[in-house]
Amino acid sequence: MTLFNLAKKNVIGNFKSYLLYFISMVFSVVIYYTFVSLQYSPEVQMAIESENSLLNIFIAGSVVLILFVAIFILYSNSFFTKKRKREVGLYSLLGLRKKTIGKMLFYENIIMGGIAIIIGVILGTILSKLFTMIVLRLLDTPVEVSFEVSIEAILNTIIVFMIISLFTSFNAYRLIYRFKLIELFRAEKEGEHAPRTSFIAAITSIILIGFSYWIGFQSPTSDVQLLVNLGLYLISIVVGTYLLFRFLTIYILRQLQKKKTIYYNGTNLVGISQLLYRINGNARTLTIIALLSAVTISAISVGYSFYYTNEKQAEKEAPFSYMHISTSNSVDKHIEKIIQSDTEHSINGQIDIPVISVNGEVSNPILQDYLEDGPIKIVSEKKYNEALKILDRGSNIQLTGNQTIGIQPLLTEYTSIDYEEHTVTLQLPNKELDLAFSSMVEDRIIPWSYPDFTIVVSDQLFSEIATQVTPVTIKTYEVADEKTTKDTTVQLQKLVSEDMQLTTFYNIYRKGLESGGLNLFILGFLGLVFLAATGSIIYFKQLTEAHEDRNRYEILRKIGVSKKEVNATIRKQIIFVFGLPLTIGIIHGIVILQIASNIFSVLIGMNLTIPIVITILAYFIIYLGYYFLTLTSVKNTVNN
Amino acid sequence: MRTIVDAKKIKKVYGTKGNVFTALDNIDLEVQEGEFVGIMGPSGAGKSTLLNVLATIDQPTSGDINIDGTSIVNMNEEQLAAFRSDKLGFIFQDYNLLDTLTVKENIILPLALAKVDPNELEHRVLEVANKFGISPILDKYPYQISGGQKQRTAVSRAIISKPSLLLADEPTGALDSKSATDLLESLKGLSEVDKATILLVTHDAFAASYCDRVIFIKDGKMFTELVKGKGSRKEFFQKVLDVLSALGGGQSDSI
Repeated sequence: MTLFNLAKKNVIGNFKSYLLYFISMVFSVVIYYTFVSLQYSPEVQMAIESENSLLNIFIAGSVVLILFVAIFILYSNSFFTKKRKREVGLYSLLGLRKKTIGKMLFYENIIMGGIAIIIGVILGTILSKLFTMIVLRLLDTPVEVSFEVSIEAILNTIIVFMIISLFTSFNAYRLIYRFKLIELFRAEKEGEHAPRTSFIAAITSIILIGFSYWIGFQSPTSDVQLLVNLGLYLISIVVGTYLLFRFLTIYILRQLQKKKTIYYNGTNLVGISQLLYRINGNARTLTIIALLSAVTISAISVGYSFYYTNEKQAEKEAPFSYMHISTSNSVDKHIEKIIQSDTEHSINGQIDIPVISVNGEVSNPILQDYLEDGPIKIVSEKKYNEALKILDRGSNIQLTGNQTIGIQPLLTEYTSIDYEEHTVTLQLPNKELDLAFSSMVEDRIIPWSYPDFTIVVSDQLFSEIATQVTPVTIKTYEVADEKTTKDTTVQLQKLVSEDMQLTTFYNIYRKGLESGGLNLFILGFLGLVFLAATGSIIYFKQLTEAHEDRNRYEILRKIGVSKKEVNATIRKQIIFVFGLPLTIGIIHGIVILQIASNIFSVLIGMNLTIPIVITILAYFIIYLGYYFLTLTSVKNTVNN
Repeated sequence: MRTIVDAKKIKKVYGTKGNVFTALDNIDLEVQEGEFVGIMGPSGAGKSTLLNVLATIDQPTSGDINIDGTSIVNMNEEQLAAFRSDKLGFIFQDYNLLDTLTVKENIILPLALAKVDPNELEHRVLEVANKFGISPILDKYPYQISGGQKQRTAVSRAIISKPSLLLADEPTGALDSKSATDLLESLKGLSEVDKATILLVTHDAFAASYCDRVIFIKDGKMFTELVKGKGSRKEFFQKVLDVLSALGGGQSDSI
């Protein structure tokens, strides 16, 4: 029998123990291939008008995926080799030479890697069609998806996984050289003793996590400080979470042990001691799961929030369906005609808004910082009230004398307090004019340009200023069903020149939808991968432990513990193992989201409760599925 | 005097049509309260099957078993579990201690499962541990103690709930002769002083010589029975050896 044959027989003969490792490899190939083939699919490429940003997002996504897939495969590989040390030791004991064993393990790994790639690509081809449809659905573009195989994607996948496979195979080859024979035989009995705990480490974990939350909420004053804070945040949250699982849980379980009325009550004695016994080996896994859950939940929530708030965001940025600066009467007429001729989108209202731009200064330094040297835009109280009426948002601003009201600049979160009791000084050609702010309003009415600093003054004051500075007229139209005004928008774009500054709701909405939809897809995809991986890690780990625990439950059954009680204690333990990292993950995730919503200006002032709750709920439901799967499998393992 | 075990015509058949193996063939057994009974026989004679059937871990094919007045033949899984924790105590050759629990926790396990009050439980564990000389190691884990200590822990666990019947399957099998003697002395003490009813399955004539009565089975059938009576343990030991050689299976099963 040649060595290659022996390796082949090994794989086939021990298929069950190889299955876990094999499945995780196939799984990794499938997700990676699916993702990469999306990148090359013509439908996705075409559906996006801004190709460059798409490519960047996909490249970033695939880098994260490669990292993740590599870690995941290495994890299952080490898990797998740990289980096989005894077998390898046996070969050595039977007199096979080290080199021969090494080669055999190498072949084995390569065979499995090769088969995993083939199966993964086949499954991935089927899945990528499904995912392409999801992307296009998110982008609101109904396109028939063709069924095709992308050569580039296959090559890309094969190269990446050949490298990973070679690495793991080489690792397998070295296994026999890395350990002494006696160590190979002891492998499965390795160090799970009653764990010690330290009160100080337990407290430190809480302090570190608290510190990470605190630092996350600090608003950094410079970019350097932002980086420092971010670094401190990451270190403290990772270390804190690890210490929490490694020490705090043990500490709490030990305290429970001291409460005799709880500990000496039925199967608690077995359950608590079992958890304690296992926690050392599980601390790292639980930490990874908690952190991955946190990242997944917050990433998907952010992505979903962008997508979810897109329409509101677009409405803020482009309050009217069409807005442009009036240049000449004939062009204005032409534009009006085009908009009128679009019978599917009837005009709900139109208004010409004169806007005066002058330089000026604000007495509040915060606002002055925002304004810098930019012009202040002025609109009249009458036009503001009329515009808001067209937009179906009531407003009744009444101003007298030198009173003025500020409009909240886009992407900021200034409030009335920032304006009240402050003044603005306008530099008119022949004099300076001081106005006093009475408050601030949120609804914007004119197109965005930086700095977005607009104030409202009384009609009388407006016409006074207008005698010195000529206003620019902005023509605005609000039409029904503005989300679908693609044709008219395209027509208008051909017509207008640069200086007319055409702003259409459709363009802004569409742009947001595209980037938001893709973000959501990529984050969701990565999130799903993380979730599947975390779920699988717990599942396999619990199952392995269940195999080792069979003896213990056997003893319990012999001394008179009923099946029902055994199942109850198993359930409690699995709830603990699943529930703890999920709880920590959700809390971490919510904090990360709070921090993120302070960083991403687009999300400022948006109510994100709904997207966050939906994300967490979806995560929870899938996670719950893993819980039940694990529970059933462990019960079956123990009871048979 | 109460009858603790009353088994009639126990039959246990393994396998299906064409390939039937009779492990127990119409065995009758009666054990009184406080009796220390040994069961001997060559490998494959049905000793362990008999013990498992009495322990309710295995069901007989036919026959009737009453333990402490309760028939166990028609109980369901839940009832059997409750019965085991209530009436039976077990000692196994490989101790069957839970390695996740300390010695003390292992001992109180049956009581904790029965939800006995924690104070009562602390009291009982000290009492039992003193009896078996393991009080100094109560907080140690099984991997930290010797085989003899492990087996004494197992015995403590078996008797802490004051079972009606103590079943021991080769308890001295993995012990050195000193530990084995200690253990047998303790069991004897339990039987004589505490009136514990003990059923001991063993290969070892020395272990059997501590019993009040030894039952020999062969090929699933009752072969003979020896009662110690008033003679010394040494004489009894000799008698057991004689029966064993007649039985065709020596101390170690080899001829």
